[in-house]
Amino acid sequence: MNSLGQSIIELLLLGFLLTAVVGLVASWIVRKVSAKVQYRVGPPFMQPFYDVIKLLGKEQTIPEEANGFVFCLAPLVALSSVILLSTMLLRIALQKEGYFAGDVIVVLYLLAMPSLALILGASASASPHASIGSAREMKLLISYELPLLLAFTIVLIKASGQIEQSQLLSLAALSGLKPIMSISGCLAFLVSILCIQAKLGLVPFDVAEAETELAGGVIIEYSGPLLAMWTLEHAMLLVALPVFVVELFLGGFDSIILGIIKYVVVVVLLILIKNTNPRMRIDQIMKFFWYYCSPILIIALVLAVVGNFLGIGWL
Amino acid sequence: MSNELLPIIVFAPIVLGFITLFLPRALRYFTAPLTLLVTALVFLGAVGIFQDKTLSYSVPIFNIQEISFDLLLRNTSLSSFMILFAAGFTSLIAIYSVKSSMDNKAANIFYGAIMLTAGGSIGVLLADHLLVLLFFWEIVTVALYLMITTGQEKSNFAATKTFAMLGASDGALLLGILFTYKICGTFQMSHIAITENEPLAIAAFLLMAVAALTKAGAFPLHTWLPTSGQYSNAAVMAILPASIDKLLGIYLLVVLVLPQKGLFAMVAWDLRLVLAIIGAATVLIAVMIAMVQHNIKKLFAYHAISQVGYMVLGIATMNPIGLAGGLFHMLNHSIYKSCLFLCGGAVEESTGTAELEQLGGLGKKMPLTFMACFIAAMSISGVLPFNGFASKWLVYQGIIQMGKDTTTTAAILWPLWLVTAMFASALTLASFVKILHSVFLSRMPDALRETKEVSAFKFVPMMILAALCVIFGILYTLPLKIFIYPALGFKGDLQVLGFWDSSFATLMLMIGLCVGAVIIAAVSIGKKARKVPTWTCGEIQPNDSMIIPGTAFYKTVSSLEGLKQLYSWQEKEVFDPYTQAGKSGSGLTNMLKWLHNGILPIYMNWVTIGLLVLLFILCEIW
Repeated sequence: MNSLGQSIIELLLLGFLLTAVVGLVASWIVRKVSAKVQYRVGPPFMQPFYDVIKLLGKEQTIPEEANGFVFCLAPLVALSSVILLSTMLLRIALQKEGYFAGDVIVVLYLLAMPSLALILGASASASPHASIGSAREMKLLISYELPLLLAFTIVLIKASGQIEQSQLLSLAALSGLKPIMSISGCLAFLVSILCIQAKLGLVPFDVAEAETELAGGVIIEYSGPLLAMWTLEHAMLLVALPVFVVELFLGGFDSIILGIIKYVVVVVLLILIKNTNPRMRIDQIMKFFWYYCSPILIIALVLAVVGNFLGIGWL
Repeated sequence: MSNELLPIIVFAPIVLGFITLFLPRALRYFTAPLTLLVTALVFLGAVGIFQDKTLSYSVPIFNIQEISFDLLLRNTSLSSFMILFAAGFTSLIAIYSVKSSMDNKAANIFYGAIMLTAGGSIGVLLADHLLVLLFFWEIVTVALYLMITTGQEKSNFAATKTFAMLGASDGALLLGILFTYKICGTFQMSHIAITENEPLAIAAFLLMAVAALTKAGAFPLHTWLPTSGQYSNAAVMAILPASIDKLLGIYLLVVLVLPQKGLFAMVAWDLRLVLAIIGAATVLIAVMIAMVQHNIKKLFAYHAISQVGYMVLGIATMNPIGLAGGLFHMLNHSIYKSCLFLCGGAVEESTGTAELEQLGGLGKKMPLTFMACFIAAMSISGVLPFNGFASKWLVYQGIIQMGKDTTTTAAILWPLWLVTAMFASALTLASFVKILHSVFLSRMPDALRETKEVSAFKFVPMMILAALCVIFGILYTLPLKIFIYPALGFKGDLQVLGFWDSSFATLMLMIGLCVGAVIIAAVSIGKKARKVPTWTCGEIQPNDSMIIPGTAFYKTVSSLEGLKQLYSWQEKEVFDPYTQAGKSGSGLTNMLKWLHNGILPIYMNWVTIGLLVLLFILCEIW
């Protein structure tokens, strides 16, 4: 167990500074590639940094009807949970020994915290647009949660044949495996990409913000420094979520260079999906995740169980 | 601590409560303080019982041939912590409801029933004789019936339904007890250990498990809970269905199935699959129904069902982690669910309604209730670092560990249990987001502008329960070591699969929170946030037309193809055993009515046919 001071330093350097910088760079990549796809020039490299700094300097407005406390606390809670989440994930990427705060179930639950904070913050802002946005964000969460949990269970099943049961819930141990090298793991990986696409609120799953119909939806009433927090948190999720997928399915960061390549591949996949699809309606999204993705993964899960039972690794 | 404490703590409240039931209403200024005093003393006694786990008391009552009916009470480590919490909940809820019940027409019935509950529930937990257990079990059922009748109009219907369903399950318990006696020849629980897996033992186990699961409110015998939730006072729901009924139901289940020590340990081991199916079905179905409810108390009642599924799943794993998780979840659930019901009651008292559509924005008017409700809602949804997460986390590990054994069906299906339990957790979050949105956040309707926070009698119990949620979450190893491990007879620490350092994670989250707060503070020095009206695209809108109520949140789910039909059947109570039993009962009476039409020749025909049949049988003509 590390000393407390060391942990705090890790939290601030890895979880906050590194993640924020990489996240803002990643969000630049997203914008630049999207621009290229649409035959535009795209923003300069520093643009995401300028955006955050500019927002920090702007005036803060709070709606009169809002529950000010929840409204202001929500982005901070989201930020702090992403900081903890990315510390846990990046420590594993850097091959550090031992647990930090919790196991992989804790990671799964932490993944839901930013969405929860966003929903509560939106509800607190007392705007009808934001209320619709928060309803959609919540429905989005329960839609992708089912396939995501199925995918996670597939990883556990694959792992249970390969590592000690006492290591089963350690993400560090799980990241040493490559479930992608099997049919069930591959399906789980593909669906998980869609799930994190939805978690990030990228097109085609951007119903909660939906600028053209809800005028920003969940974040409509946010401005200035608090909006900067949301922007920063969103950028940091662009690091945490793909890293989580890399560690869960793709064998993690066995070497740093290879790990970064895997991460970039996942991000590029996300960008491509973002730029080749129109926004879906919320009921279409629910049907998509529950009626299409989930049955596929249930089949994959059965394959994984059978494969484990018969000792066939590639199933 | 003397052994006489046991009968006193059980019978004193029962006798006093029984007398109170019949006192005239004018004496309520005397009975209200009496209730507070009795529950407080019972709590003190419970603390004594918790400290001394060796107490036992026996007095022979009568003997009929070999059947001896003795009053056997004994304290075990499993029951002692449950007694502590049962007494604690009773006294907290007595404080909560003592003032508001004054105006109730049946105030003394309410007070009397609270005392009956205190004595009866402790009696169940202390009993070492199956018939004594049944006696106290029945007292708790009657107390619940009486308490529900003190609710609003239509509460009689709810009370009757509750009594019918619980009474029927108590009948099952009696039958199960008699079967057990037939097998073992004794009623004394500490002497019963059924190892033979014969049909009679399975029947006895299932009958007694039905009683336990109905009391706890598991699917499909749960339907008394939402009905009573809708029509009775929130305090009633908080004391019995939300907390003490869970303690009792799960206590009986654990007493039956606990590996090595349970009454039916071997039988239950083979029936793990049944328990797991009940658990998983309860978790998922109840939460799906809860999501689309429009009434706060009814929604909470469905969650009181859904959470039982986690406890049953935990127990069904029958490994140490799962059992500890199930029992810990029972404890946590009692805490946050009674807190939630108390919050619901506070909102109802302040605003006069429990319908989500008429509420909104109360977070600013009732900040303390909001805080308590928020903490309890986060706990039940399993948000870290609150207590609900810790126990769910243990249950998940129990399920994963169950998967190590690949010989039984229940174990092979572990991914099914795991995904169901974890997914239901997300759905729980969804329905509590709906509650928080429509009651405390969102916009305030004009009609509620004058709402006031409830009195200290109400918010202090809520705050205590909310504080317990936080403490049991951040320092979750503490309740595990003090209450749960000794109760299950574990020596020392339990080896868990995963890792969750709750206090460390909380500290890290706090530091993260500070990072954000420092940045905001640094850039806002000297600046003041400006209050602006809500953006309405430049149009001027009346306040009430800008409210999006939470009731509309999950219409998408309930109108999804495939789920639509299920939801509509559920609305029509197709899955309600009570309604279905009522329907088949009235079908039977209709048939009898049709037969008894009062025409003499037809009766003559029946008599003749009957005689012929008798003749055939007697003369053995076939």
